[in-house]
Amino acid sequence: MADTVQSWGPDSIPDTAKAPVRVKGLQKFMRRHSTIAVLMCLPLIIIVACLIVYPAFYSIYLSMLNKSQTRFVGLANFTYLLSRDTFWMVVKQSAIFAISAVFFKALIGLITAHLVNNLPVKGQRKWRGMLLVPWVIPLALSTLGWWWLFDPTHSAFNYILKGMGFEEIAWLSDPYWARVSVILVNVWYGAPFFLIMYLAALKSVPEQLYEAASIDGASAWQKFIHITLPMMHNIIAITVLFSLIVTFANFDVVQIMTAGGPRNMTHVFATYSFLLGIRSGDLPLGAATSLFMFPILAIAAIFILRGVRKRGREIG
Amino acid sequence: MGTRITRRSVLKTAALGSAAIISAPYVRGAYAAGKLTLGCWDHWVPGANKTLDKICNEWGEKNKVEVHIDYITSQGEKDKLTAAAEAQAGTGHDIMSHRDWNIQVHQRVLEPLDDVVGQLIKQYGPISPVAEYLAKIKGTWRGVPTAVGSQVKPCQSRFDLFKEHAGIDLQDMFPADEAKYDKAKTDKWTWDTFLDSAQKLHKAGFPVGLPMGQTSDAVDWVGALFNSFGVVMVDAKDNIKINSDETRKALEYLKKLMAVNPPEVYAWDDAGNNRWMISGKGSSIMNPPSSWAVAKRDNPTVAEKIWHHPMPMGPKGRFVGQLPQFYGLWAFSKNKSAAKDLLLHMSQRESMAQLVEASFGYDLPSFKSMYDFDTWKKVGPPVGTAYSYPPRGDEQTSMAGAPARAEVGAQIYNQAINTVMVSKFTQGNEKLDDVIKWAEKELEGTLRV
Amino acid sequence: MSTVAIAAPIKSRLGIGASLKRNRRWALISSYFFLILFAIFFLMPPYYMIVTALKSDAEVAHMATNPWIIANGITFEQFYILLFQTDFLVFFKNTVIVTLCVVAITMVVSVLAAFSLGRMKFWGSSILATGIFLTYLIPDTLLFLPLFQIVKSIGLLNSYWGMVLIYPTLTVPFCTWIMIGYFQSIPKELDEAALIDGAGHMQMLFKIFIPVALPGIIAAMIFAFTVSWAAFVYPMAFLYSADQQVLTVGTVTSLIRADVYKWGMLMAGALLAAAPPLVIYAFLMDYYIAGLTAGATKG
Repeated sequence: MADTVQSWGPDSIPDTAKAPVRVKGLQKFMRRHSTIAVLMCLPLIIIVACLIVYPAFYSIYLSMLNKSQTRFVGLANFTYLLSRDTFWMVVKQSAIFAISAVFFKALIGLITAHLVNNLPVKGQRKWRGMLLVPWVIPLALSTLGWWWLFDPTHSAFNYILKGMGFEEIAWLSDPYWARVSVILVNVWYGAPFFLIMYLAALKSVPEQLYEAASIDGASAWQKFIHITLPMMHNIIAITVLFSLIVTFANFDVVQIMTAGGPRNMTHVFATYSFLLGIRSGDLPLGAATSLFMFPILAIAAIFILRGVRKRGREIG
Repeated sequence: MGTRITRRSVLKTAALGSAAIISAPYVRGAYAAGKLTLGCWDHWVPGANKTLDKICNEWGEKNKVEVHIDYITSQGEKDKLTAAAEAQAGTGHDIMSHRDWNIQVHQRVLEPLDDVVGQLIKQYGPISPVAEYLAKIKGTWRGVPTAVGSQVKPCQSRFDLFKEHAGIDLQDMFPADEAKYDKAKTDKWTWDTFLDSAQKLHKAGFPVGLPMGQTSDAVDWVGALFNSFGVVMVDAKDNIKINSDETRKALEYLKKLMAVNPPEVYAWDDAGNNRWMISGKGSSIMNPPSSWAVAKRDNPTVAEKIWHHPMPMGPKGRFVGQLPQFYGLWAFSKNKSAAKDLLLHMSQRESMAQLVEASFGYDLPSFKSMYDFDTWKKVGPPVGTAYSYPPRGDEQTSMAGAPARAEVGAQIYNQAINTVMVSKFTQGNEKLDDVIKWAEKELEGTLRV
Repeated sequence: MSTVAIAAPIKSRLGIGASLKRNRRWALISSYFFLILFAIFFLMPPYYMIVTALKSDAEVAHMATNPWIIANGITFEQFYILLFQTDFLVFFKNTVIVTLCVVAITMVVSVLAAFSLGRMKFWGSSILATGIFLTYLIPDTLLFLPLFQIVKSIGLLNSYWGMVLIYPTLTVPFCTWIMIGYFQSIPKELDEAALIDGAGHMQMLFKIFIPVALPGIIAAMIFAFTVSWAAFVYPMAFLYSADQQVLTVGTVTSLIRADVYKWGMLMAGALLAAAPPLVIYAFLMDYYIAGLTAGATKG
């Protein structure tokens, strides 16, 4: 790096150096490590403060008003929600939706990553690219495609089922199948992301570990449990965390596929909040519903991140 | 015969009214040339937006006001999102269209329009009670009913299938001329008759398709049925009245009726019944003529067998679900007197006639005196199919959620408490008493201040 | 790696060679078999979308034929109408502009911040880093009402420039977080060497860290691209004129009219909208994967 210093032209000399006397104090100030660091963070801080933190606090304020937003009611909206059966159903369904969707995304991601990893290196790129397609289509649009596949009257899946002599499935009209359907779409969309992450992680596991295990006569399953999983612990935790966040707050899939029906049984937080806030015109109640998501996610995030840090220290 | 006389006299007043517009109590305010922006419902009929453009631009040129219209779709409730955000921000368009309960939702930021609506009532006679219920909040009109996007959802049936499999001649029962309605025949068109036909058509492989999801098509027809059975969910004084014999009768009836519907009706959104009809599998749905219009393009052999006709009658009368649209003027608009003038112009009979024509009769004004437009007599094939789309004969309009206070009604309607209740009973096979108990609890939730 | 030592004490050295080969073969065949099953699952919806897009309206409406094949002849009518008789190309252009700007803004903001938070450490920097991560937990459905006021007050309502302003809220936290991890994974010795050589922080960033962290930067760029290309809730709430609309919302709103769906055209629109991300991923997938895995595991 020594010649870099010598080759600095006049342009690259810091401005402060050009007027040494006048701005000596400023120069000192600018040179200070932490000042520069803060300045570099400033754009980020401004964006986050103005466009995320301020609106978020405004929404918290909004959630403490009455329906016509004329009176401060404290936590009344929250206690009201907690007293409603439908809200508890939404809580339950959000949890079922997010946890099972993320579980299957991770599972399918793991399986497919292994399968692709088994192939000769030449063909891997092709398969990986093919399997990545769902992740690339904008979700709102691909969900419409799924919806058309599930169309209650003319489901193309039922056409196949009927052709094979099976009973037709009421994909979106039976509440339980509807739950399965929205989860299925979410898994379809998210699994490829897990696939590529896990595939990359698999490649980073040193080959010698497997070779050593092979010599010891370990079965494939043993290798997976004792080598692969511990090595991938971090990446699995991180992907699961991020997917959990995004899935928990999902709006597009449920709104487009079922809009919460039948019998409210597929509602998740975001769609229920939309129903109360926008469709029924009770903005404070809608904001309160959305807000319930934050503490739940924050707790999940703390647990998972803590696990990752600890792990990182052990390995590092 | 009584109705005809009133109609003629109404027409006369209307003609007088539009001629004597300046002497009316509506006083045209002074306004400088300026700009007006409108956020209007994006019509599904291609070209219908252009007609509205034309009507507004005519007025704009005459009054030296620049009119700009943004068309906002109701898909994904985008129009409601926009309205909510504008109301919250206290800024946006001057005039916005509002569907169903949105006048009530935004009542505090909407300008009173008693002068405009008062003038229109003077010109064109009484306004639909549903429109009044939705837009006249605590005695003040906060919205002007418009034809654009306003609809009722009467029966839309395949007359060939009804004749062949159920032995009912719908065209004879409801001919394309109200004067020829025969009370002896129309009185036979009851919910029991409908159930009987539905069972026969189901057996013949052409079930009726009545949606039971949580969108407006489902809520509206169930609301109409409840009304004709005398079911009240919550009355105007906040009393929960759902636990009644009427409710039990209606639910027992629906159990029989839903059994002969295709099972997927529980997942249908507002497009589900349209597709059912257009594909030729269905024999009857309850919908405005949009499905017929699309069938005319995509499946014409089905379209020419479709007949629109009044709803079946129940013990308490014959009701059809109505879903009007309104224009609201934001209180924060900077050009209110010009906006009111434009609203009046848009609501004139001549403007309404053009709008109805442009939508092939889909748009329905809220003034009964305008049900005589030519469009409904003309459109086809089959000619006369849409004649009985506007409420004719003894058919009254209804709104699910009424007669509760509008705030309460909006919650009932939007959370689809009526259809969820029905689905729990007919699809979920829950006990009748449990279902009613559930509904009572939900309704109690809507009473929250 | 004590775990390995526990693994399988059984030692079978007999006949390893031949059976290993046979096992490999079987593993390969079964891998292909299951991969094909998964590929069918992953590609069925896009396939069905293509088929629907190539059908005539009448065939879609009748529903009389096998929905999985085109029975009444392929037609490009849907694409033609979409491209030449709707505002689709306007949506496309708007989306490209918005996406490019958002990617640029995101990268400047998050690379600077990540460098500062990841390498320079100052009072409160770790709190700030955690705070940035927490903002990722706030759902956009909660923010849009207050954001409406902000966007309106700047005069960018119903303008795609408003989207340029607010999409970074979706991209910046995650990108910063990824980049912090990436910068932290770069060995300490590098900047120590540079500091000894007297390089300022800016030189250090541009001459050392950005080149080294390029895979991470590209991964973050692709992430920002994907998010702004597919964003749905904000344009749904803030854009209403067709000339300002973006692809996702424009396709859905201009092709679904009340209760009338134009299925063929909707699917055609979805496919065309998916094309640019598809191309980007095809070329830059390796960077994306490398950058994400490295950035996400640290931090």
